[in-house]
Amino acid sequence: MSAAIRSLASLREPIAAKRSGAIPAPALARRLEALAQDGFAAFEEQGIPTRRLEQWKGTNLARLEAMSFTRVGPTSTTTTTEASAGDEAGESFDLEFVDGRLLPPSASRATLPEGVRVLSLAEAAVDAPELLEAHLGAIPDLKRESLVALNTALFEDVALIHLERRARTDRPIRIRSLATADGPESASASFPRLTVVAEPDSEATIFFESGCRGEAPGLTTFVAEYQLAAGARIETVEVQTGGPERIHVTSSHARLEANARFESHVFSLGTGLVRGELWVTLDEPGAETRMRGFFLGREHGHVDHFTTVDHAAAHCTSDEEYRGVLGDDSDGVFRGRVIIRAGAQQSDARQSNPNLLLSDRASIDTKPQLEIYADDVRASHGATIGQLDEDALFFLRARGIDAAEARLVLTRGFAFRIVEGIENESVRADVGSQVEAALAALHPTAIAAAAGDTAKSAAAADSGGRRA
Amino acid sequence: MSDAPLISIRNLHATAGETPILKGIDLDIREGEVHAVMGPNGSGKSTLSNVLVGKPGYEVTQGEILFRGESLVDMEPEIRAREGVFLAFQYPVEIPGVANSYFLRTAVNAMREHRGLDELDAIDFLTLLKEKMKLVEMPEDMMSRSINEGFSGGEKKRNEILQMLLLEPSFCILDETDSGLDIDALRVVANGVNQMRSADRAMLVITHYQRLLDYIVPDHVHVLSNGRIVRSGDKSLALELEEKGYGWIEEHSGEAYTRGAHS
Repeated sequence: MSAAIRSLASLREPIAAKRSGAIPAPALARRLEALAQDGFAAFEEQGIPTRRLEQWKGTNLARLEAMSFTRVGPTSTTTTTEASAGDEAGESFDLEFVDGRLLPPSASRATLPEGVRVLSLAEAAVDAPELLEAHLGAIPDLKRESLVALNTALFEDVALIHLERRARTDRPIRIRSLATADGPESASASFPRLTVVAEPDSEATIFFESGCRGEAPGLTTFVAEYQLAAGARIETVEVQTGGPERIHVTSSHARLEANARFESHVFSLGTGLVRGELWVTLDEPGAETRMRGFFLGREHGHVDHFTTVDHAAAHCTSDEEYRGVLGDDSDGVFRGRVIIRAGAQQSDARQSNPNLLLSDRASIDTKPQLEIYADDVRASHGATIGQLDEDALFFLRARGIDAAEARLVLTRGFAFRIVEGIENESVRADVGSQVEAALAALHPTAIAAAAGDTAKSAAAADSGGRRA
Repeated sequence: MSDAPLISIRNLHATAGETPILKGIDLDIREGEVHAVMGPNGSGKSTLSNVLVGKPGYEVTQGEILFRGESLVDMEPEIRAREGVFLAFQYPVEIPGVANSYFLRTAVNAMREHRGLDELDAIDFLTLLKEKMKLVEMPEDMMSRSINEGFSGGEKKRNEILQMLLLEPSFCILDETDSGLDIDALRVVANGVNQMRSADRAMLVITHYQRLLDYIVPDHVHVLSNGRIVRSGDKSLALELEEKGYGWIEEHSGEAYTRGAHS
């Protein structure tokens, strides 16, 4: 047993105590405790995922194995003040996690319209115990996903979003999760969790931001579940940022009933080890999903996105596009699985993964995976790996924009194809500036060096007689 | 107007890739002048424009290009642009994801910084942009669209002229700006160019056909053949060329070359 598993096992008791303390009804408390125990059993059984597993081929979690965890959840001194230090004025979140525990709710929830509820675990236990019973942990398969099992074993709090039938909110629901770090020898873990229950014909945008403070080893495993009833429309935007020492795993799971629409926009901007999983099941006819992602590799970062869309019913549509920019010494991984079950006729599945390599020390490993068992379907996929377009680069320079900035303008253009897909305007603007800031942090010398290479390769192409 | 040429090209030899294309060009252009360079396909017209702006892949192997007395050849493309050299491209590139307005503002501010002026904020820039867009009859929605993406041939050329109007270069090169344009688009583009004509600005109009020169009337016309200027004259040379065709020039240039070699 690794240091990580031993240390996490020893931290279960206090978490369980805190969790049950929040729940007045003994039956519900017992139900959640059983869920957590199942989670730990499934985690122990599988252990930390290794590269021998097909879906973990691209990512080595040896760093996680070696971590020795001294705490799960916030330290006793981590308070609201620490969490909100450095925030820009005017930012408000409907709920905010610090190391997996929700802070006392802010006043901003009062502006949510009727029929839209955003609740902590303790609140949901009183106001909506039946929703927790029915939906918490209902979608993911713990036996196949050990890090989801780990979250299920050690989560302390849950953000529950409930949209009543036909309820809708024009302003986005905002949730943030911050992790704090200790020293180099003591890792901290954070297990935030989100459960979204969208009743028929409801509609909302959910903006989830996840980051960390401090530069020390740690693990964040975020699990989100989205249950969309018939005709529900959910747009979810997740932005992940974090330092080089952090391992950040997101595992999002959506299940859609008839004619529901689920739009996911994922932005991985951190510099550590990032794993983003998205599982979408189109369970009934007419369900539709758009899966969008942008990932940026910087410094020695490692970004791995693993997505699965499961066409389980006929007449469903999936449209996926993940774009990667890999600079500095970073590595990217993209695995896109599309399953079209027998009987899921008239499925329409599109997938693409264009990537931009900005440095010759960066790499991307991309692989689509189509498993089609129906015969009357439309399915397409494509992955590309390229450098910045030489003619475009020259065009910008010929207008007085220097080489490094021209590269940034083009890279931004590549990334903003994904940013611009966000429907909610305020969220789009917010994410746009975060993406811009992350791109601007790409190492400037790497950009300059690559620009030199560019001139050489253009000359080489010319001598081949490509240009007129 | 000073007597020294704004741009002075001396014995210019250049290659595209490994292939020698320009084989000794001499040309002086003064402020206030409009020069036209005409020539058949393959004569080196586009290479000349690409060499002037420093496109990678083109190399000057002999001779020099002086701009206000300084060598252009050693300057990076962006420095040439900021110093006032502008090429309206024959085939403007499409750049997906980069909004036209964002690009234009970045370019204008790079230029202003170089000239020691303050950056324009979003509102001042928009005012300037709208004023210039009117001159090329450009609809406003083209600003929020990606650079040239999905633009028609005419829209792309108008966009080039718009950039020229905004950046206010002192030396404008128009590379086959008339190609692919119908008569209405040609009129709009020529109108934009004529707005730019002034005593402190020079232009080099590169074209295959005489048609454009009905709208942008040149002071001097040069004929390029096989990488050299084989004939120079006033605007009547363009008309003569239109009438007699390039075959006429090539026959005569053969003679000129022979004569030159013996003298």
